[in-house]
Amino acid sequence: MFCYNCGCHLSEKDFCTGCGADVSLYKRIMHVSNMYYNEGLEKAHVRDLSGALVSLRQSLKFNKNNIEARNLLGLVYFEMGEVVAALSEWVISKNLSPDKNIADDYIGKVQSNASRLESVNQTIKKFNQALVYCMQDSKDLAMIQLKKVLSLNPKFVQAHQLLSLLYMDKEDWERAERELKKCIDIDRNNIQTLRYMKEVERMLMPDEAVRQPARRRKEEAVRYQSDNEMIIQPLSVKEPKRSGIATLLNIAIGIAIGFGAVYFLAVPSAQSEIRNQMQQDIIKISNESDGKTVRIQELEGNIAELNNRITGLNQEIEGFAGENGILKMMENLQNTAAAYLESGDEQAAADGLELISQNVVVEEMSEGFQSLYRGLFGSIGPNLSATYYTEGSDKYKTGDFAEAVELFNRAIYYDGGNVEALYSLGRTYEKMEDAENAIAAYDRLLEQFPDSQRARTAKRYRDALATGQ
Amino acid sequence: MINFEEELKKFHPSLEVEDAEEAIYNQDMTDMADILVKMIKETEVKTKKEKKPDEVQ
Repeated sequence: MFCYNCGCHLSEKDFCTGCGADVSLYKRIMHVSNMYYNEGLEKAHVRDLSGALVSLRQSLKFNKNNIEARNLLGLVYFEMGEVVAALSEWVISKNLSPDKNIADDYIGKVQSNASRLESVNQTIKKFNQALVYCMQDSKDLAMIQLKKVLSLNPKFVQAHQLLSLLYMDKEDWERAERELKKCIDIDRNNIQTLRYMKEVERMLMPDEAVRQPARRRKEEAVRYQSDNEMIIQPLSVKEPKRSGIATLLNIAIGIAIGFGAVYFLAVPSAQSEIRNQMQQDIIKISNESDGKTVRIQELEGNIAELNNRITGLNQEIEGFAGENGILKMMENLQNTAAAYLESGDEQAAADGLELISQNVVVEEMSEGFQSLYRGLFGSIGPNLSATYYTEGSDKYKTGDFAEAVELFNRAIYYDGGNVEALYSLGRTYEKMEDAENAIAAYDRLLEQFPDSQRARTAKRYRDALATGQ
Repeated sequence: MINFEEELKKFHPSLEVEDAEEAIYNQDMTDMADILVKMIKETEVKTKKEKKPDEVQ
């Protein structure tokens, strides 16, 4: 023991011989800690692990540096299946006393086998999951999980207790008792286990009332002393009369009882074994079936996805090779260009181009297609625009403004640089008293051809319209 | 008679390996010896403070 003040080794005196500090109380605390450690050790020796746990924790509350107590606490945790709690105690112990510490060996043994450590962690996770299942009232799932946990870590006391509680809830008292006995084998004096055991025994024990008459019958006997021996002669028992037939009858009855015993004892156990086996098979098959169902759903999803892709591709093919597909439109463009070169019929070429532009987006087509389309459009555009402009002017003069608007728009479509058509469009709208469209036409003219002759006039008209004069 | 729901409340999730580090850091390591040493030192400081005015006089 060392002084808390100067670290000097303490003697049997109540003060430190190094610094003179009063260490009587300090020594007493250390003694109490050691006393609790000894108590914990004794309890651990007789497998009272939960009792040992309490004593060792007490010991550490008095002296956190009691390395033996901490290491033993870790061992007790480990024995109860609480591996992580055990590791935590050993790590702290190693930290407090790095040299010649047995905790180092314990940590090494646990950590050297990575798969074992992983398995331990899985066990803990499964136990926690089982607890969640219990909370959610999925008791069957919880039982399956706990059985898995206990097959991996048979010393996990909490898991045994929880499983026995589930059995008790199911009123399967025999299985509950079996689990509790396993708990007691690990930890003899666990209060929770003993409480459950008491409850299970109460349920399993036959009625007291049934036992009473038997005891009374025992008392109905004559007792007397003969020399040094006490003779007890029951009153209800009579000496049987021995005869050959009776012996044979007894043998027959014995054989019958033997068969009966086999039938009633061995057959149910065999049946229960078969039942268990079948149950396990069912669980296995159900697991496999679940896996296959998931796989089927996955494959069905894949099929649906592939069907969607096929439909998409078919639509794409239709877009290429169908009646109004890209290939057909390319052919139309070639035919239109060839016909125009041969006959010079601008109107026919314009109709062809319009049909193509209705079916495809020219800007999204190949470079060659766009080039041919624009070349042809550029060749026929100005002449057609002039023709439409002339026709539009005629309609304007006759007062057919709606037709004039249509023709001026066509003239602008075929030649964007046709200032006259744009100006006339504005004027026609003005005549139709459609100020909004008229202003839009003038604005377009002012924006595109600000230096043209018509720009000044258009501005004047526009301003007049805008001010509502 | 055992009440399942009540008993279930007594079970707590077990520590997982991932939580070990946090559990170690969060452990309250103060023991009786620490408290005693602290009390002795506080008493010493108090005694010194009480003595100082006398020395001045």
